[in-house]
Amino acid sequence: MSEMTKKMQEIAREILEKGEAQVVIGWEKGTFWYLSPPAFIDKPEDVQRLVWDDFCHNNLSKYLVDLKNHEGKTAVFVKGCDSRAFNRLLQDKQIDREKVILIGIPCPGLLDQDKAKELGKNSELPKAQKCLECQYPNPLVYDYYLGDKEALNEVAATKEAADYSDVAAIEAMSPDERYDFWTRQYDRCIRCYACRNVCPACSCRECVFDQTRVGWIGKANNSSENQFFALTRAMHVAGRCIECGECERACPMDIPIMLLNKKLVKDINELFGEYDAGVDIEGKLPLGHFDKNDPEEFM
Amino acid sequence: MKRVGVFICHCGTNISAAVDCEKVAENAKSFPGVAYSTDYKYMCAEPGQELIKKAIKEQKLDRIVVASCSPRMHEPTFRRCIESGGLNAYLLEMANIREHCSWVHPDDKERATIKATDLVKMAVAKVMQNEALVRSTIPITKRALVIGGGIAGIQAALDIANTGHIVDVVEKEPSIGGRMAQVDKTFPTLDCSACILTPKMVDVANHPNVNLITYSEIEKVEGYVGNFDVTIRKKARSVDLKACTGCGTCIQKCPTKVPSEFEMEMMDRKAIYTPFPQAIPNKPVIDRENCRYFKSGKCGVCQKVCPTNAVDFTQEDELVTERYGAIVVATGFDLFDESVYGEYGYGKYKDVITGLHFERLLNASGPTMGKIKRPSDGKIPQNVVFIKCVGSRDEAKGKAYCSKTCCMYTAKHATLVREKIKDSNAYVFYMDVRTPGKGYDEFYTRTTDQYGAKYIRGRVSKIYEKGDKLIVWGEDTLLGRPVEIEADMVVLATAMVAKADAAKLAQMVGFSYDQNHFYTEAHPKLAPVETHTAGVFLAGACQGPKDIPESVAQASAAAVKVCGLLSKEEMPTEPIISAVNEAICSGCGMCVPVCPYTAIDLKVIQERIHGKTVSRKVANVNSGLCQGCGACTVACRSAALNLKHFTNEQILAEVDALCL
Repeated sequence: MSEMTKKMQEIAREILEKGEAQVVIGWEKGTFWYLSPPAFIDKPEDVQRLVWDDFCHNNLSKYLVDLKNHEGKTAVFVKGCDSRAFNRLLQDKQIDREKVILIGIPCPGLLDQDKAKELGKNSELPKAQKCLECQYPNPLVYDYYLGDKEALNEVAATKEAADYSDVAAIEAMSPDERYDFWTRQYDRCIRCYACRNVCPACSCRECVFDQTRVGWIGKANNSSENQFFALTRAMHVAGRCIECGECERACPMDIPIMLLNKKLVKDINELFGEYDAGVDIEGKLPLGHFDKNDPEEFM
Repeated sequence: MKRVGVFICHCGTNISAAVDCEKVAENAKSFPGVAYSTDYKYMCAEPGQELIKKAIKEQKLDRIVVASCSPRMHEPTFRRCIESGGLNAYLLEMANIREHCSWVHPDDKERATIKATDLVKMAVAKVMQNEALVRSTIPITKRALVIGGGIAGIQAALDIANTGHIVDVVEKEPSIGGRMAQVDKTFPTLDCSACILTPKMVDVANHPNVNLITYSEIEKVEGYVGNFDVTIRKKARSVDLKACTGCGTCIQKCPTKVPSEFEMEMMDRKAIYTPFPQAIPNKPVIDRENCRYFKSGKCGVCQKVCPTNAVDFTQEDELVTERYGAIVVATGFDLFDESVYGEYGYGKYKDVITGLHFERLLNASGPTMGKIKRPSDGKIPQNVVFIKCVGSRDEAKGKAYCSKTCCMYTAKHATLVREKIKDSNAYVFYMDVRTPGKGYDEFYTRTTDQYGAKYIRGRVSKIYEKGDKLIVWGEDTLLGRPVEIEADMVVLATAMVAKADAAKLAQMVGFSYDQNHFYTEAHPKLAPVETHTAGVFLAGACQGPKDIPESVAQASAAAVKVCGLLSKEEMPTEPIISAVNEAICSGCGMCVPVCPYTAIDLKVIQERIHGKTVSRKVANVNSGLCQGCGACTVACRSAALNLKHFTNEQILAEVDALCL
């Protein structure tokens, strides 16, 4: 058992025993060695299920939306990306800060699940793409913090600059090439909505794709409707995507969803100034306020 | 079964010259839902409207498409028409086949007809989805705001106040009066400007319904017609208006001299000053940028000599917010920066001045006590050259437009030179002489025939100094020969331009302005004092170059519009506003900051979830403030917001009609 797993279990037990929170959300080992899905612990004796390893990918802040009407408090473990998601959900008024206890965990970067599945248990595994590019490995907001300063510095040292070369490659394509590329990608989509369900920016009470809007939104799984879904989803998270990469990880069809998200992040940075969602909760959202000086290069 | 009636207008030949209207009407008969289709020469005229009303009755029509001009032009007309025909006003759709079709495709009738047919097809598809909407009402705040205390602002305020409504006049400068206060005599009657202006200034100051708020600026405007919330910054005057008696002792004793803006810097004022002797309020203000006390902390003489302890160095800017039903914008004009014309030597030669400088030289209380003297040496000039269109009608260096007033004031100046200076010569270089207006051309004729001013058609190419003379080189284009005049003084008729901060104010209040930053009227002919923003009206030269009579007339017109608005207890609101589907709204509040009219807030509702009562927040649209711009509907991801009359479904129907 890792040092961090021990600390997690200790603090979870303490919180539940003292009654500070009714539920603790963490990770536990799943069906396979390379999966660590979310765990919802509400009894002190269950805390030994909690685990911290190289596969704790799920963005736990998302689950706070489901628990927002529960009585009492919820404690949740947050990595850097989970904490940005938390901030975003706060900005979107989807959760009540008073009802949440945040336990911060510095994240050294997690391993690539797909590669783990492919290469096997005893091989050298690469980090997940999203973790290689991660700008915020340390939680930005927390009530408790597990790990020490040294761990923090070590994590910070692994931080790499944002890389948009993959987006640039798409931008360099001709419109026809680009259309073909995305058609190929989204023709695979089975409309399972896993990308939406796992996304901390998707917090609507009723998603437009679940609504009955005849002639406006189609539910059919075909090329045209899939493209419409792809673009709508991307625009709906624009300016609010915290780049946790959960959509792409959850996609059973290996659609490069983050490529679309990153294109929008890049465009927003270029049009409205550098902006990282979920970092500063006081500032205005780039696509969420009225400004007469907004660029209008389409006019 | 919906029964749509389609009415295609020829607009005389405006549409029919480029579009085959009969054919469009014929084509429309096959569109789904169309029960009746016809065309007529002038649909907006009485017989055209009767045609529509008759068809509604006889054909049992329940929704109407009129294909004619822009809805900006006649949508209200046709809404009224179908309303009196018994239908809800919002069961009307207009297809703009004039501005969007015939005017832009005048040379290809076949394809323009196809396009007009498509536009009508879209309108039919849309009107099939339209729903009857009901107007509600909002109360009107019976108080008006006039921005600008020049002659236009004063006239508008007086006219509004005389009907019994309260008016606040906000003036940026320490005194009301504006440009007219600087002018000496007025054309075409040559009566003294001050003699006709200052009584009006006194009237407006003493009027029980008028509050003068001088030395103040507009800081923020929120709300909408009937209820504007305006924040006014009252700049620190450093003089307590209530305590000050206006005795002027402080002004006499102030040791700091500053060039007077009012006297075009040809005279000094003090750091504590009133802009001119007839200023209202006739109480001084401290110019903190130049005041010795504010610059160095030493002095304070004004405070020591003030018999009523009115001087208060600790005063700070004060922000007050007041609610108004209507706003008149009368912010006036600036003068063109004539230094652009280097060949005229303005700024280099002291005796090259502008028309407004000349006004001050003519004025009995001006720097020369009304004697025309050269700024350089105080000598009386014998030869005065006037150059018109400095900055006007010159796209290369200045403005493309005509400043309208210069022809007349230059004629006035030339007359006064000839009248005041014995044996003098007045030369006027002009491009054209434009004197429309009552008594104007007669005045110009007197200037040339009776007063003997010498008008030379042509432009001046160069002015240079030779001894104490200014040599003016120009061309007489009528005689086709060069002209050289040895002048003692040159007066430039500089263009009227929009105020430097005109655009800023327009953005703050929320109305439009043109490429020259003059404010745009709602319609150049039929709505010349309205703006496109309901409840905001225009008066005076802020809308475009104007002389005094025109400014006054426009001010009175704006006042009538204001009174018309304020005479009602409440006003109907446009029902084309956003609607919230509370069941879907997640209360994220994204719509709140994107709303340019602050019309949305979040309200708490209660609902039952799993047997428990839960409170949650949802968006709430203020029907009085919402202008139906639709910004919120695109910010709302779950489509909980939808704009009535332009719903997603209605727009999609139009797109489908065109594309499927």
